[in-house]
This record gives sequence, C-alpha cells and structure tokens, in this order.
Amino acid sequence: MSKFIASAAIRGGQEIVKEADQLLKETLEKYGPEQKVGFANTAYYLPVIYAYTAHKVEKLGDMIQPMEQAKALLPRRMPTEKLWLPYLGETLDAGVATLFAEEIISGVRHVMGVQPEKQNGYTYNGPIDDIQLRTWGIQLVDGRMPGFAAIVGRAKTNAIAVKIVRELQQRNILIFLSGNVNGKGIVEQLLEEGVELGYDTFTVPFGSDTISAIYALGFAARSALTFGGMKPGQAKDVLLYNKNRVHAFVLALGEVDDLKYATAAGAITYGFPTIADTVIPNIMPTGITKYEHVVSMPFDDIPGNDDMERAERLIQRCIEVRGLKLQITKVPIPVSYSAAFEGERIRRGDYQVEFGGRGGVTFELLLSKKLDEVEDGKITVVGPDLDAMPVDSNQPLGVVVEVAGRKMQKDFEPVLERQIHHFVNMAEGVQHIGQRDIPWIRIHKNSVARGFRLRHFGDILYARLHADFGAIVDKVQVTLYTKQDKVRELREQARQVYNERNERAANLTDESVDTFYSCTLCQSYAPTHVCIINPERVGLCGAYNWLDCKASYEINPTGPNQPVPKGAVIDESKGEWEGSNRFTYQHSQQQVNRMTLYSLMDAPTTSCGCFECIMMIIPEANGVMILSRDDPSMSPVGMTFSTLAGMAGGGLQTPGVMGHGKFYILSKKFIPKEGGFKRVVWISSNLKEELAEGIKEVCQRIGEPDLMDKIADERVATTVEDLVAFLETKEHPALSMEPIIQ
Amino acid sequence: MALTGIEIYKHLPKTNCKECGQPTCLAFAMKLAQKGIELSKCPHVSPEAAAALEAAAKPPMRLVTIGVGDKKLEVGNETVLFRHEKTFLNPTGIMVRVADNQPAAEVESLVAEVASYSLERVGMELRPNGFAVDNRSHNPSSFAQCVATIRAKSQLPLVLISQDPSALETALEKVGQERPLIYAADSHNSEGVIKLAKKYQCPLAIRAEDGLGQLAELSDLAAKAGVEDIVLDPGTRGFASSLEALTQIRRLALKKNFRPLGYPVITFPGEGAATPEEEVLLAGEHVAKYANIIVLDHFSPGHAYPLLTLRQNIYTDPQKPIQVSPGMYTIGSPRDNSPLLITTNFSLTYFSVAGEVEASGFPSWLLIADTEGLSVLTSWAAGKFDAEKIAKTVKGFNAQDSVRHRKLIIPGAVAVLRGELEDELSGWEIMVGPREAVDIGGFLKRVWAN
Amino acid sequence: MPPVETPVEKWAGKIHEVNLGGDARRLVVGGETTLPFLHFEGAIPHPPAVAVEVQDRPPASWAPELRASWGEAMEDPASWAKKAVEYGADLIVLYLSSAHPDDQNTGPQEAKKTVTRVLSTVDAPLIILGPGIAEKDNEVLVAAAEAAAGRRVALGFCEQKNYRTIIAACMANNHVAVAKTPVEINLAKQLNILICDMGLAPDSILMDPTTGALGYGLEYTYSVMERLRLAGLQGDKMAAMPMFCTVGEEAWRQKEARATEGIPAAWGDIATRALRWEELTAMTLLLAGADVVVLRHPQVVQRIKATIQKLMTKE
Repeated sequence: MSKFIASAAIRGGQEIVKEADQLLKETLEKYGPEQKVGFANTAYYLPVIYAYTAHKVEKLGDMIQPMEQAKALLPRRMPTEKLWLPYLGETLDAGVATLFAEEIISGVRHVMGVQPEKQNGYTYNGPIDDIQLRTWGIQLVDGRMPGFAAIVGRAKTNAIAVKIVRELQQRNILIFLSGNVNGKGIVEQLLEEGVELGYDTFTVPFGSDTISAIYALGFAARSALTFGGMKPGQAKDVLLYNKNRVHAFVLALGEVDDLKYATAAGAITYGFPTIADTVIPNIMPTGITKYEHVVSMPFDDIPGNDDMERAERLIQRCIEVRGLKLQITKVPIPVSYSAAFEGERIRRGDYQVEFGGRGGVTFELLLSKKLDEVEDGKITVVGPDLDAMPVDSNQPLGVVVEVAGRKMQKDFEPVLERQIHHFVNMAEGVQHIGQRDIPWIRIHKNSVARGFRLRHFGDILYARLHADFGAIVDKVQVTLYTKQDKVRELREQARQVYNERNERAANLTDESVDTFYSCTLCQSYAPTHVCIINPERVGLCGAYNWLDCKASYEINPTGPNQPVPKGAVIDESKGEWEGSNRFTYQHSQQQVNRMTLYSLMDAPTTSCGCFECIMMIIPEANGVMILSRDDPSMSPVGMTFSTLAGMAGGGLQTPGVMGHGKFYILSKKFIPKEGGFKRVVWISSNLKEELAEGIKEVCQRIGEPDLMDKIADERVATTVEDLVAFLETKEHPALSMEPIIQ
Repeated sequence: MALTGIEIYKHLPKTNCKECGQPTCLAFAMKLAQKGIELSKCPHVSPEAAAALEAAAKPPMRLVTIGVGDKKLEVGNETVLFRHEKTFLNPTGIMVRVADNQPAAEVESLVAEVASYSLERVGMELRPNGFAVDNRSHNPSSFAQCVATIRAKSQLPLVLISQDPSALETALEKVGQERPLIYAADSHNSEGVIKLAKKYQCPLAIRAEDGLGQLAELSDLAAKAGVEDIVLDPGTRGFASSLEALTQIRRLALKKNFRPLGYPVITFPGEGAATPEEEVLLAGEHVAKYANIIVLDHFSPGHAYPLLTLRQNIYTDPQKPIQVSPGMYTIGSPRDNSPLLITTNFSLTYFSVAGEVEASGFPSWLLIADTEGLSVLTSWAAGKFDAEKIAKTVKGFNAQDSVRHRKLIIPGAVAVLRGELEDELSGWEIMVGPREAVDIGGFLKRVWAN
Repeated sequence: MPPVETPVEKWAGKIHEVNLGGDARRLVVGGETTLPFLHFEGAIPHPPAVAVEVQDRPPASWAPELRASWGEAMEDPASWAKKAVEYGADLIVLYLSSAHPDDQNTGPQEAKKTVTRVLSTVDAPLIILGPGIAEKDNEVLVAAAEAAAGRRVALGFCEQKNYRTIIAACMANNHVAVAKTPVEINLAKQLNILICDMGLAPDSILMDPTTGALGYGLEYTYSVMERLRLAGLQGDKMAAMPMFCTVGEEAWRQKEARATEGIPAAWGDIATRALRWEELTAMTLLLAGADVVVLRHPQVVQRIKATIQKLMTKE
C-alpha cells in the first residue's frame, strides 16, 4: 500500500469524522434524540451502518453509537518517515470510519430536509429506493447488467464526461454520479450537454459532493442483504459478497483530495477498486479487491488520437481492473446467423468469392496476447474487401485472431482456433471447411449483396468468443488480410506456430503435469464410469484429449471435466495414483476403488460404451487383440465388437478387457506393465490401415520394425486356432514373452 | 469379493471345447463372473475347481421356472437392487386369480379373456403370464375341476393356491407334469406340501405369517428336504409393509448373500387393496420394488395395459435403449401436402418427437431411421445418422409416394448435414428443424402454416 | 440357520428440507434420511406432497375427460385452485400459460394480477411456472415473485440456459427455485451447483429431473431419480434437493390418455386407462423419491393422497 495514499486517507477520515461528529451534536441539540431518521422507501435503515453492524438507525439518537464506532475505528497514528507501519489495515479502518461518517451526515441531511439535494433548479436523485434496488439488483445478479460505476468528480471536459457515460451505457453498466472538483461536478457537465439522467437511462445523480457517493455503497450493502441472503452484521460476508458478486468500481475524475482517498479506502473494503484519471500512486497487488486496488491513468497520458479515444480506453481499463464480463447475445451481421446454416453448401456459380481450396492461400491463426496488447472489438481488414473482388474469383485470406484474458493460457489457443470453423459456418451464405493453413471458404453472392463483408468475420468471432468463452477471454481483436504477399508471409509465421504447437503436444507427457482431467459425460447410461484423461491417453470415445478437458474446465468449472490432482504415485508403470483413485471412487458411486490408467490386467479403466476400440487378452496367443468399433466382423475370441462391448461396457471394470480411444494404441503409455505394443497380436484391419503410419513409428520405437506384418487381423484369423497358427509362422514376439496371465 | 473373469479362467480346463455354448473358456469365464451363465454348463470343470468357484457360480437369487413350453415363466436370478446398476432381468410374472367357487361359465370367460389378452408396444408383446387357481371352495374336486376348466381354454402357467395338501394333490394329479407353482407351505401344513413339491418336482411357494425369520426357517426346511425351486411370500400385504419386507428380502439375498431368502417373491396386491383401482397401484409398487410374481384379483384391459407397460418400462435394460422399428409413421391423418420429418429410432427420441408433432396439431409424416437405438446427436457422432443413411431411409420407405412436395425436415442438431443431404437427395429441399423437440410446434406453425 | 438380521443401510446424507408457504399455511418437503418409505431405516419427516396443476386460462387442449372433471372452475384460476384444495391438494402449481407468445402473450401485469388473486383465495403454498420461453419466463416470473413476496412460493423452470433471472427473483423475495434438467444426474447436480453459486441456499431448490410418463420414458426418469436420491443420501449435498415431478402433464399428453377411436380393445376404456396412466406414473415416481407430484385429475389426486398416507403409515 502506498504510504501517500494511506496518509491521505487517514487524514480524510479524521476530518470527515470530526465534521460528522460536530454536525450530529448540533442536530441532536436542535431536534432531540427522538427525531425520526431514515432514507426514503427503504427497509434497510442507514444501509452501510446496518450491514456492517446490524445497528438500526431509526432516530437521531440511534446515530450516536455508530458515530462512536467511527471514532474508535480511526487510527491514532499517521504513517511517518520513521514509523514504518503495516498500514493497510489502518487505512481500511479509516475508510470504514469515513463511510460511517458520510452516512451519518447523509442521515442528518434527511432530517434537515435537504435531501434529495437541490441546486441551480436541478433536483438530484438522492439514495435509490428499495423497489429500484430490486429491479436493478435482479439484472446485476443475473448478469444482464455487468456491474456499476461510481463516478466521483469532474471530467476534463464536458465532451469527455458525455463520452464516458455513453461508453458505460452502451455496455449496460449502471452509473452512479456524485462529487465535484472545485465546485463543478460531472452531473452538471452532463446536464449542460443535455444528457438525460435518471433510472430510465441507468444514470443516477446522487448529489454534488463526495459525501453523496455513500449512496452507491448503501446500494451495494443492500444488494448483499437482499440477494445474498446475508444477515445484517455479517460484515465479512457482506463485503465478500460485494467483492465476488457486485461488480462495481470507482472512477475518480479530476483531482483526488483527502476525502476522496478516504472514501475510496472505504470502497476498497467492498472489493471495489478505484481508477483515477489523474496522477496518483498505484496500488497494484491484489487482495482485498479481485485485481488491482488503485490504478492511475492520467488522462492526457492515455494513448489515443483524441480525447474521445482516450475516454474509451479509460473505460476499457476500468472494465479490466474490475473483471467485468459483458454479455453478448447477438451476432451483428447483415445475414442470418444460426445453426441451421451450419451445413449449407455453396455451389460453383453461387459464390461471389472463394478463399483457399486447390492452390489457394489461406490460414487462420489464434494467438493469446497480454491484456494491453489487444484492443477489444477492433476489427481490421487489410487489403481489398469482398465487394472489391472479382466475382467468382479465388482469393487469398489470412485471419489472425488475437485474444487476451486473465485466465487465458497458451494451451487454449488451438482449442479456440478450432472453433473458428464452427462459428463462421453458422452465417448464412458462408461455407467453411478446414482449419490452420487449409481453410476453404466460399461466400454466396446473395450474402455479399446484402452487405456481408470481411469485417463481419471479425464481428462473428468477436461475439462468439466472448459469448462462449467469456470465462477465459476478456478481449478479442481480429485482423483479416487479403493481399497475396502479406498472406503468404504471415502464413509462414503461422506455420511456425502450428509446428511449435505440434511439438508441444508431442512433448506433453503424463510426468510433466500434476493434474489430469475427468470426463463424466457418459454417466447418463454408465453411472459408475469415470474417464480420467491424461496427456498421453485420450478419452475412451476419442473425442476429448487432456488439453480439451483443461480448457473445458476453465470455461465451465462445474461441467463434466473436472481436475484430478494426481497425488502421490502408487505405481508409475501401471499408471496408478492416489489422487486418481480417490477421484474415481468418489465419482463412481463408490463402486470403483482402484483404477490404473495403463494396465489391462490389474484394475483397468472402466469402460463406458462409446469407446472407439476394445482390447482383450487372448491367453492362447499370450497377447492382446484390439477390435475397432467400425469392424463388424468376428474376432478371434469368438465375439464381435458389440458382444464384447455389451459384456464389458456400462461402467464395468473387467480385468483383461478394456475400452479405449484409438490413439492410445500409439501412446508410450500403452499397457507398459503387460509389455506394451509388443503384446498386440491382432488389430481390426480398418484400424491398422488408418493408423499405419503411427503404428510403424511405434514398431521402430520399440525396436521391432517388422512387427506390423506379424500382427493378424480379421482377414487372416477369426478364431484362436487360426490366430495362434499365424503368429507362430510369423514368429510374433508375444509368443515368447512372459505369460500374460500370471 | 466376487472373482474376476481372469481369476475364474485360471480354474477352467482352457480347452476351448465350446460345449458350454461359449466360443472360448475366457468368454465363459467372463460371463460367469457376471453371473450370466451357470458353472454347470461347463462339462469339464474339475471338482476342485468347482469348489473354488462355488461363490462365483451360484446366483444370489435362484432362477425359478413355472410352467413348461414356450409360455413358461422364468423369474428370479436378479443381481441388482436398482435397475440402473445393471438391469432387472426377468420381468415380474403377472397371474390372474381364478376362484374355484366361481361358476364354470364365469371361469371360462375370464380365462378366455386373459389368455387372449395381448398387445404390442414398441415391438414387444405385452400379456399376462398365467392363472392362479384358488381353492376357495375348500373342496378338492372343485379345485381339480376348475384347473381342468382352465386347461381346456389355456396352456398358460398355473399357480395352485390351497392350504390343503389333498386338494393340491388332486390338482397336481392333473397338471403336476407342467411345473405349476404350489402355493403354499406354511407353518401349519409344511410337511405335507413340501412332500408334494418333491413328489411332483414342482416349484413351491412358502408363506410366513410371522416375519422374515419364520420365512427363512420354512425356506431352509424346504431346501433341506430337497426342494430347489422356492418362491417366497413374506405374508405382508399393505403398501408400506410389503415394500419394507420385499426390500429387506432383496437386500438380504443380494448384499448379504443370505441363501434362505435367495429366491423369487410372490405378492397378492388384491389382498392389500380396498378397490380394484388401488390394487393396480399396489401391483405397480410390487413391479417396481421387488416382486417376481404378482397375483391379481381383478382383470380388466384398462388396468392391465398400464400395469404391463410399467413392467416393460422397469425391466428395460438401461444400457440397451428400446428401439422403435424404422419406417414411415403417420401422426394424425396426414395428406400428401403434410410435413415430412425424420428422426432416429431411439424410443425416447421417437416419443418426444411424435408427442410434439401430435400436440402441434399438424398431421404429419414421421420417418424413423434405423440408428440402432441411438439418439440424434449420438447416432450422428457414431456415423449412424449421416446424409447417406437419411437418404437411404427416405428412399427405402418411399417417402416420395407419401408426399407431393419434396421437403424434408431434419433435426436441428444435425443441421450440418443439410448440404450433403441435398447432394444425396437431389430434387429435395432440406429444411432444418429445431434442435429441441419441444420447439417443433412453433416451428411447424412458422414454416408450414401456409 | 443363521438369524435374520434386518439389512439396514447407513446413510451419511439427508435430503434438504424445503419450506414453502406463508404464515397461514406452511408446507415442508424433503428431510428424508432413507430411501422412499423405508421407515425401518431412517426418518421420513414429511410425506410427499400432492400438487394440483392450475392454469391461468382454461386449457382448451386438455382431454375432454379432464376438462369435464373440473368443469367451470377452470374459467378462473382462483376458483380452480380453491376447488383443488377441496380435493386435497397440498399445494397449487400455477402455470402462467397465457404468457406464451403463441397463446395470449400476456405480460407481467396479468401475471401479477393472477398470482395475487390466487394467493388471496387459497392459503395453500404455490408453485408458479412460466410458459417455458426464456424471455417470457423472466418477465412474468419476476412480476409473480414480487406479487408473492412473503408467501415463499416456488418459481420455475430454471434451466441451464435460463436460470439467472429467476434465481435473482427468488433471492430478492425469499422464494424457492424449481430447477429442471433433461433426465441426467450430472446435469441436475451441475444446475444445483450453478444456482447455489449465485447465492441461493440449497434448501431453496426443488429439482425437476424431467418426467417421462408411463410408457414414454418413465424408466429414464425413475432411474435418474433413484440415482439422485442415492447420491443425496450418500452425502452429496448438490444431489440432495427434494424432487418435483410433472406427472399429470406428461401422463395426459400421451395417446393412451386421449385416444378414443381406432384403438385396440386391449387398451380398455378411456377413462379407466387414462386415470390409471396418471396414477401409475405418480406411484412409480413416488417410489423413486418424488417429493412433489403434480397431478391433474381430481380422482387421481384423491387416490394418490390416500396411497401416500398408507405408505407413510407403519403397519
């Protein structure tokens, strides 16, 4: 915490407490302790005091106790050069004392009949009543309103004041206005510009001084009591509720005086950070607030071509600091956008432009960047647009999506990048196939005629990435390139990224991570089945790998993919950990005590029903066979895939039989305890052909380069007898391994 | 702890002789581990191995067969307390009570009605399983006469109800070869009735009046006397008491492996209900919770149909979804300008789509593709509901002859198939319907109203 | 012969107790510490409740048999509710069907009026359901929630794709949420978690696992409910919400409850069959753990009430 701020806040607190104390004494003398006190139309008394202490202020006399509390809270000592105190706590105490004092003053003002405040013929709003609290509260709780901004002070110019309010309104953020700098405040600025203020426009002018900003915190306190089910007096819970659920921030415009510092310190106890447009010390470490506590963005130093751009950036930064999540529900493009267009075909003759395909040059790349490197919503088209391209021509296209987010990880890039296909395809008149450097896109003449342009790709990606991946993506910026040379040049860079990603995926081992992920999607029909997905083993269905699950968990923390901490190792060669066992036990209705991830014979993974392959031992051949889901023929054990699946599926753990994803065959963690790939004596031919390249590599790796030809399939053996005969002729190594059944 | 297939395999002869009906010894072992086959099917297992496998070999609840021939009733052999754990195997036998003091004509018409009662639901036949002849007359010859009257009309399995061993014997003399269930040995007549069961090699019901302890004693007595096929009546009749007793019996048999109660259970809901309507409800309770045979006092189609449907529901294998037969279905009376929709043959998919189309008020054609009982998204993911399959279904069931237009509505979840389908079905317009069945009504109203 | 020991399961969990209703008449559902009606094993402090479905306008599409059974009472939701209480309803499910855009597209004002009228006519606790279109649900249920403040009603349906507004309305007015998920245990739990994450207490949620009628998916509902109940009793607090089943609506939607012509003789006569269809659906789901069954036919209400009483009586 900055000593400068601490000193100012404590000073401000001392002064306002003194002022309140004095005012209260005078008013008590004038009206007596029995005089009724209260804000209009609320059941929460003086709400900040009520929420903090459960003390009900109904009469003037009831204010004495909180006044004394405010005094007691005030730190006695100031930080000095020599006295080096851990003064965060004291500053916050001063902040709370300030809030009490400000609320007491507001209460007194009600008694004196000067609330709501009237000035120059304008009547301010004063505190918000309970009915409006409920209406807005529901929207704040359900997310339609991302949060509220408490603006205090005065903008540099009237135009900037208007711009700030418009930027917030556009995002559905509720705006509370109060305070002034040298006698003039933002409310006056807005009135001068003819801005409509009031409940209907989400703007509430509380009053002309800093003290009236207390109504914003009263609103927040009542939210916790109304929507959080908190009881008055549960101060900590009320504050935590505000920190975690009431997404508010303070925007201090213009010079920050001691009282503003003191009030801001009070707001910080609610978890509301302060952003100032003047030079003040930053308090960057997080703690009481979710992210930074105090952020200074001197207005004139904000990058931008003019004040309007600077105002935009200021608001952008406020949203980041508080971590507001915006809801985007509509994709703003001139053609229809829905799942119904996903499978649309655009035929030759119908399209205006084609990108990619045979000989075309295209790529799509999604990169994660730092927060300050991405300008949210910025869409740029570099090169000619659709309407400038010859009809029926093939054109180059490069799509670069840059995203930033506090929870974004480099590993999620490919997961998000794959979504481009799905997102873009849903636009009417757009056909999209492929990804990375092979996208093939056609755009229908009619869509171009209706105004569809390349920037709408950006609009689609911006809207959908926010809507579907808002949990990890805070900012999205899209650039589209259509000049041949530039696209070629960038495609080379993109290919480097793809290669790096491939390598990273290849090097991702089970040993290199401490967390696996679960998948319980199949429990609807296999109630005791739990998939544990590790980097070197895909889910049984083949549809989910470890990275997918990791991203899925970040996006949907209560969903079917949960983190499974490995915990202490029990047997590395079988793939057994305490953590995975514990998770499996808890999520299998306590049916499966142990589950090894790599062993076929000892507590193998349970099998759901949608596995791509099923593996079973053949004792006579001293090996295992792998049967593909797509192979309807008879296997050497005398059972077809469906019979075997019926026997072992449904969440059962059957030593000797195991469902798995097809790429597990190529994994280094392929049944190592049983001897690895050398044990494989039979594979469905379709699978063998599909994975031929990979299998050859595995054979090389394990030092059996000829093994591929020694493995039987349904074309040479559908009985145990034929199989064994085949293996003997070929001298399959499994025959001379140690017995598979111990 | 039950043995795994591999552990059982170690005890087997490993000859792959196939005489058990299984392709290999390992397959037999796996099946045995799941109690899906009996050890006795293996002709070559050594006595030592048999002893070692005893626990794995013996199902915790005995399978009891009543009657002979293709209408025989097999009950028991259940392995789970909840159907989701695996499945309930042998559907509850539903028997209709016939009193021997009823006039013969009444008996004849009741038997004729029950015996001919049959209906089809999602490809399966639903029917009652037999008769329970009740010696209400207390007269042995009336009893035998009544059995004869039934047999003249129907060959369905029988339960013979009497407390009087001599009455039972007169009936057994007629039908003793047909494995009727003898009901019942109790604390008063056990000796004589057990003897009859032995003599005629028939399954025997035992009835307790005094709790499960007494029931276990009687069952033990019968087993010791050499009766293998036993059916239990715990004597409870009410809603709460029978639920309690039947739950305890099932738990004791399955979880405690308590042999004396490891048998199927018979109930008489009519004796615990005040009205025929209530009898259906109590019978419903017994279908869901652990009766293997139910004797009904009243029979009427309006009661039998829902009850048989419930039995079908409860005994459906949760891992093998019910399939409806692929084909062209009509909803209301569609004409050649009515909508044509297609979906998969997973029963729940079919029912929800058909239900919503029905409720929409648009008479429609509903094409059902063979997706092996998978739902839309699952079958699409498994490649069983792709453009080719849909096109084949449209052509295979001659959809072009049913409708004049050439518009096919596909589920919204497979919107991606549209382009490909238009290639496969040239001349057809592919319309993408809603993702959820519940939105079908609104969809049809929007796109088909004019 | 070993002695027979009563096989008692030890359950670590307890189903949440959900309070409904105002001062004049309160109702508690849930609280079980054992499987349905197994009195020898644990406590079942509150019998399952029977709710009667009342719509805010006469339901023209209902089967004639049903419409005849309620007669003129259906013209007005308040008198309908009153009659339902006379038949023994423990609570009333008030469907704001008229708010559906394809119906009369009524809005929050009408909803408020209807709810107020029903609440002032009957003391029985209320469950208020929107028309099932997210936008309209949010509109009318927020209004209904305010109108019912102080009477602790339940509001539904909260679904994964639309729950936040309804939950906010519940929190603002101390109401209960009905959380509906499509016949899947993990989705049910997930929605409960999401709702609790918003700050609504676990004892303010009823869960609707989606009812399949007899012959129309009943077995799926049955097993999902059994699994949820087992999970709840095993100590999973996010599966321990009392369960809510729309039995009447589902049973009466089916052909078996409606068709009178061109059907096999084996189906029996329509009235017998239709009533049994609803009753057996209810009965089966009660055995799977239903805590609230919503019914339509007055005779079924009476019979199921009587049956619950028998199931709750230790004999």
